Amino acid sequence: MSRIEMVEPPQVPLLARRFFDRGDPGPIVASLAHVPELLEVAMPFIGAVLGPSSLALRLKEIVILRTSSLLNCRYCINSHTVAALDCGLSRGEVLALRCEPDVGSTFPDHRESALLAWIDCVAGEAGAVPEEVSARLASQFSDAEIVEITLVAGTTMMLNRFCTSLMLPSTPETMKRLSEEGLA
Amino acid sequence: MTPVAEAIESGRLRGRVWLYSNYHCNLTCSYCLTESAPDVAKRRLGQERMVELAHEAADLGFSELGVTGGEPFIEPDMPETVARLAQILPVVVLTNGTLFTTRRLQRLAPLGELDVRFQISLDSSDPVANDVMRGPNNFGKVVDAIPRLVDLGIKVRIASTLEYVDDDDLAQLCALHRELGVPDEDHIVRPVIRRGRAIDNGMGVSAEAKDLPPELTLTSDGAFWSAFGPTVHGGRLDTDLLVTRTITPLRVPAMAMLRLLAVQPASPNGESAFI
Repeated sequence: MSRIEMVEPPQVPLLARRFFDRGDPGPIVASLAHVPELLEVAMPFIGAVLGPSSLALRLKEIVILRTSSLLNCRYCINSHTVAALDCGLSRGEVLALRCEPDVGSTFPDHRESALLAWIDCVAGEAGAVPEEVSARLASQFSDAEIVEITLVAGTTMMLNRFCTSLMLPSTPETMKRLSEEGLA
Repeated sequence: MTPVAEAIESGRLRGRVWLYSNYHCNLTCSYCLTESAPDVAKRRLGQERMVELAHEAADLGFSELGVTGGEPFIEPDMPETVARLAQILPVVVLTNGTLFTTRRLQRLAPLGELDVRFQISLDSSDPVANDVMRGPNNFGKVVDAIPRLVDLGIKVRIASTLEYVDDDDLAQLCALHRELGVPDEDHIVRPVIRRGRAIDNGMGVSAEAKDLPPELTLTSDGAFWSAFGPTVHGGRLDTDLLVTRTITPLRVPAMAMLRLLAVQPASPNGESAFI
């Protein structure tokens, strides 16, 4: 049961209507629609940061799912378990990102290993990231990539706290897929 | 010229900004859009915020203010609020006309020197028929107040909200408003809109954004597309015509209106049915 009511189609404000044009837009949009002037800037921003971009989608989903797991956001873990599987991550990789077995042995690739060490500090710790972790990341990624990786993590953290605090419910479609994958 | 002024000049946006001063009312009319009554949440804007919004409206290029509610004059400081607003832009105030005691009329006297119009609701020349819609003793108070306001030099318009137009009844109503000192050009007839309490009473015609001229309307709950927007049904605010939750700075909802106008179908021409 979410902490707030979702905005239903008969009451969708004018600026929010385009987000409902193709049917149920999901609970993030249906909650943000209470404040349409924020919805209309938040969704393009979220789409630009978390959607397809110059950074490989596999890397983005690693960042998003790992961050969501560290912040224990059930809504985002569920949604991005499905998204991660859809972009080609294996069931074992997904389980590792969800903090179930040890991540290190599941992601031997140097780039992904450095990325995960960075994310574990950004999302899992307070304060500055240790020099050694920063150096490992910088050896594998350009400055532009580091900016994007960190913004993906930060945006995910914002959504994690939003969805968890408001207790947004996972959609039936997501729960059905997780059941089919044995990951519910 | 500001973007708002350009939109007004081109006819895309109406020049008037509506301010919902409050939601409570001494009456409980059968077709009230906002389910106003004496005991509902007041949701006041307050004098200082209304004046601040009026200054912002003038700066952005709006040309007129409308004050409505609820009943604006249930707010004790409304005579002074209207006087301050009228120093900034011309003002029209929608009132039920039942709260104009001799003492309050004295406080309204300065408005006769300002660009202020009152629009008072009167639905029938028959006291019984009028009062069925608007509440006991409404007719008597209104026909008493109108000539006294006219005597103060305040311009008065009469608005008749009618579910059905009967030519004989309308002719008698027009004879009455002329007797009260209100000329034909200051009498408007408007339909009941099927929102608010009118839904429960099976009254009125439906209206969506495409049917309503765009007039930026500000309430304590946010900014709306039209004065018909911030309606209440079952005690809940309708948000289908909400533009933004932000009302100040006023440029936030004003610019949002302009963005909506860029994609909305053309609105009907002519005067808003609200006034």
